[in-house]
Amino acid sequence: MTIRFLLPLAYAAALAAQHSDTALKNPFQSPDDRARGGAFYRSQCASCHGIDGKGGASGPNLSTGNFRHASNDEGVFRVITKGVAGTAMPGFSMNGREIWQIVSFIRGLSASRAVNVTGDATAGRQLFTANGCINCHWLNGAGAARGLDLSAIATRLTPAEMHTALTDPSAEVAPEYWTWQATTTDGKTLRGQRFNEDTFSLQILDTAGLLRSVIKADLREQSLDHRSPMPSFRDKLNEQQLNNLVAYLATLQGAAK
Amino acid sequence: MRSGTPLRNAAARARNASSRETKPAGSLLAAHNADCRPVKSGAGIRQMKFAIFLLAAALSAQDANWTTYHGNYSSTHHSALTQITPANAKNLELKWTFQAQSLEKFEATPLVVDGVMYLTEAPNTVVALDAATGREFWIYEHKNPDVTYPCCGKINRGLAIRENTLYMGTLDGKLIAIDAITGQLRWEKVVVDFKEGYALTHAPLIIKDKVLMGTAGGELGIRGFLAAFDAKTGKEIWKFKTIPEPGEPGHETWHNDAWKHGGGPIWLTGSYDPALNLTYWGVGNAGPDWNAKVRPGDNLYTSSVIALDADTGKLKWHFQFTPHDEWDWDSVQTPVLVDRVWRGRPRKLLLWANRNGFFYLIDRATGEFLQGTPFVKLDWATGLDDKGRPVRVAGKVPTPQGTVIYPGVQGGTNWFAPSYSPKTDLFYLNVWDDYSGTYFAWDQEYERGKWYAGGGIKADVQSVRRDRLARRDPKSGYGAVRALNPSTGAKVWEYKMTDVSEGGIVTTAANVLFSGNREGHFFALDATNGNLLWNIYLGGQTAASPMTYLVNGKQRVTIAVGHTLYTFGLRE
Repeated sequence: MTIRFLLPLAYAAALAAQHSDTALKNPFQSPDDRARGGAFYRSQCASCHGIDGKGGASGPNLSTGNFRHASNDEGVFRVITKGVAGTAMPGFSMNGREIWQIVSFIRGLSASRAVNVTGDATAGRQLFTANGCINCHWLNGAGAARGLDLSAIATRLTPAEMHTALTDPSAEVAPEYWTWQATTTDGKTLRGQRFNEDTFSLQILDTAGLLRSVIKADLREQSLDHRSPMPSFRDKLNEQQLNNLVAYLATLQGAAK
Repeated sequence: MRSGTPLRNAAARARNASSRETKPAGSLLAAHNADCRPVKSGAGIRQMKFAIFLLAAALSAQDANWTTYHGNYSSTHHSALTQITPANAKNLELKWTFQAQSLEKFEATPLVVDGVMYLTEAPNTVVALDAATGREFWIYEHKNPDVTYPCCGKINRGLAIRENTLYMGTLDGKLIAIDAITGQLRWEKVVVDFKEGYALTHAPLIIKDKVLMGTAGGELGIRGFLAAFDAKTGKEIWKFKTIPEPGEPGHETWHNDAWKHGGGPIWLTGSYDPALNLTYWGVGNAGPDWNAKVRPGDNLYTSSVIALDADTGKLKWHFQFTPHDEWDWDSVQTPVLVDRVWRGRPRKLLLWANRNGFFYLIDRATGEFLQGTPFVKLDWATGLDDKGRPVRVAGKVPTPQGTVIYPGVQGGTNWFAPSYSPKTDLFYLNVWDDYSGTYFAWDQEYERGKWYAGGGIKADVQSVRRDRLARRDPKSGYGAVRALNPSTGAKVWEYKMTDVSEGGIVTTAANVLFSGNREGHFFALDATNGNLLWNIYLGGQTAASPMTYLVNGKQRVTIAVGHTLYTFGLRE
C-alpha cells in the first residue's frame, strides 16, 4: 500500500522538476538525501554490488556513472523498482523517495571522481600526443584497441587511479588486456589479447591487429601474462607532467548525455 | 494422429492398472492420451492386449515419461532409456526449439506425460507443448504483482502433475492447480504473504494425495517451511517449520530473537522413499547470511537435510551439514536416494554433495552419518568428526574487511541436479573447484520485506555470469563434470571446462551423460570414462537440469539454454 501511494507522489515531484528534457529528474538530490541513499544502499544493494559500489560476486560495478540498463536517473530508478530481466537483480519494494535517494547516492559514486585535479589539461593533451598514447588506445572514434578506450576514462578512473595506471600500469589490469601467448601443435607462436574463451576455442586480437579464431585442440600450450603491455611513465615524465596528463584525461567524459 | 501413439498410451493405461499407488506417475498416466483428452475407462480389450505386449517387449511408460522435476522419487536423474548410446550419440541433431518470450532466467526442467510436455516460462507462465514437435497446446499465464520478492531473479524451476492436474508455486506466494488438458485454473491457494519476503520457486512434489511446497526468501529474513496441501482442494494438511519456535525441539539452537528472521528457505524439490514413507528436503541458509554473530548457536534446521513422515510432516530425523552457517551455503541440493552395499552391508543411502564442499553418505532410514569427504578445495574446515560435524578453521569467517575462503559463495556445487547411475555405480555432479570468495559481514537491522543478508561477497568467479565475454583467470578455479565413487567420495574421472557450470546432469542406462554449461555448450559424455561423445554450442547460458523422454517411440533429450528450450534426438 505504501509503495502504491508513494511512488506516484515521487513521480509527480520528479515530473514537476523536469524542463525541456523528457526524462524524469531526481527530486531528492540534497546531501541529506544522498546520505540516506547511502544507508539504503548499504543495507539493500551492497551484498551484490559491493560496499564501495565497485561490484561483487553477483552485481556489476555501479561506480562508473555508466549503467548497462539505464542511461539517466529515471533509468536507474526504473532498474531499482523493476529489476533486470534475466539477471539476479530483483525489483525493490522501497518507496519512491527512498529509491530516488539511492539513485543520488549511486550517482555520487561517479560524480566524486573528477576532483582534486591540479595539472594543466592543455599541457597534458600535448603530452598525450607527443607520447603516442593513441598508438595503443582508442579515443573518440580513432586509435587502436590494444589499450583501454579512453573516450570516457574520467568516468571510470579517479585522478589517483589514473596516476597509478601511468606509473604502475601492471598494478591492476583488466583480463582483456592480459597478454595471451600460445604454441600450436605444428610449432607456431601466437600472441595477442584474449577477447573471449570457452572450453574449445579462443577469440583473439593478434599482434597484427586481426581478429582470430583459435581452436584449443590445435594448441600445444598457452599462457597468460597478467602484466600490462603498457610501459610505465614513472621515469619518463616528471610529477608535474604526470599531473598535467591526468588533468587532460580527467576531461575525457565521453559523449555528452 | 501418428501411428503408434494411441497404442503407447494404451500401454500406459495398461501399466496403470497394475501400478503401485506410490509411483507418482501411476495415476496420472491413466488420465492422458496423445489427443490431450481425458481417457475414458473401458478401453478396447484388443488394444489393451497389444499394449501389454508392447509393455513386455519394451520400456514401461514410467521410463518413457518424465513425470516429476527430478524424474523419479529417488532423484537419481537417471533414465532407463537406451536408444541414444555412446556409439551413436554423434548422430544427435536438433529436433525442435521452444522460444520463451520471457527474458528471465530459464531454470525450469519440463515434465513429459504421454507425448505432452509441460514447462514453466519464468516466472509463472505454464506451457503445454507437443513433445514431438514443440508446438504449443495451450499457455496459462499467472499474473504476479509488479513487485515480488525473489532473492536472485524472477525464476521458477518447474511443475508437478497428478492425474490431470498441474501444480505450480508462484512468486506471489500461491500454490496454483491447473487443468492439464485445458490449461484452465482449477484453484489457487495463498500459501504465504509474499510481502514478508517469501517466494515459491521450486517445483512441487506430489506424494499420494498431497502436494508439497516450500518457500524461498533466505536473504529477506523469512522463516522457512515445507507444507503439504490436499491435491484436490489446496487445503493445508501439515506444515513443518524449518525454524523451530519457542518450546519446539531445536529452538535451543537459537538465542535472542534471531529465530524470528532465521531464514531456512526451501527452494529445491525434495525426494521420497515410498517404503519408508519419508520425504527428504534440503534447507537453505540461516538469516542474516553473513553477519552470523547476531544468531549464536547451531541455528537448526538451516543448512540441513530434514526427513519427514510424508503423511504427517513430523520430523523423523535431521542432519545439519553446516551448523551455524556463516557463508550462505544453503543445503539446497538434490537428495539422491540409492540402495547399495556400503562396507559389506546393504544400506538405504542418501548421497549428498553439499554446497559446503563435502560429499556425504547418510543412512536415510535413521539419519546416521556414515561418511563425509571433501570433493573440492576448501579451507574453512579441516574435516568432519565422527558425527559429521565440521571441524572448523578459526578465522575463516566473514569480516568487515573481507576474508578469503574456499569454496566461494556458490559452494562446491549447488542446486543443479547431480545424477546416480546404477549401471556404472557412480555419482555425477557439476563441481566448482579451486575457487574462493571474499566474504564480508556488516551489521544490518531487519525490516519487513527487505534484504537481510548482513554482508556481501566479492569473487573472481561470478555467482551469475554477467559478462557476455568470458575472460576468466585459469588461476581462479574451474568447472567440471565429475564422477565420484559413492563408497569413498574419490574422483573417478572428470570432464574439465574453462568456465563453471550451473547445468544439471541426466544419465541413462546406455551410459550416456548429458549436461549443459554456462559457456553455452550442451554435450554428451560417456558415463563410464567422461569422454566427450557429442557437443553442440547453443550460445546461451544453461542454468537448468536436462531431462530425457520417449515420444512416438523415439528418445529425446531436452535442456533450457538462454531463453530457449532445445530438444535433440538421433538423426533418422
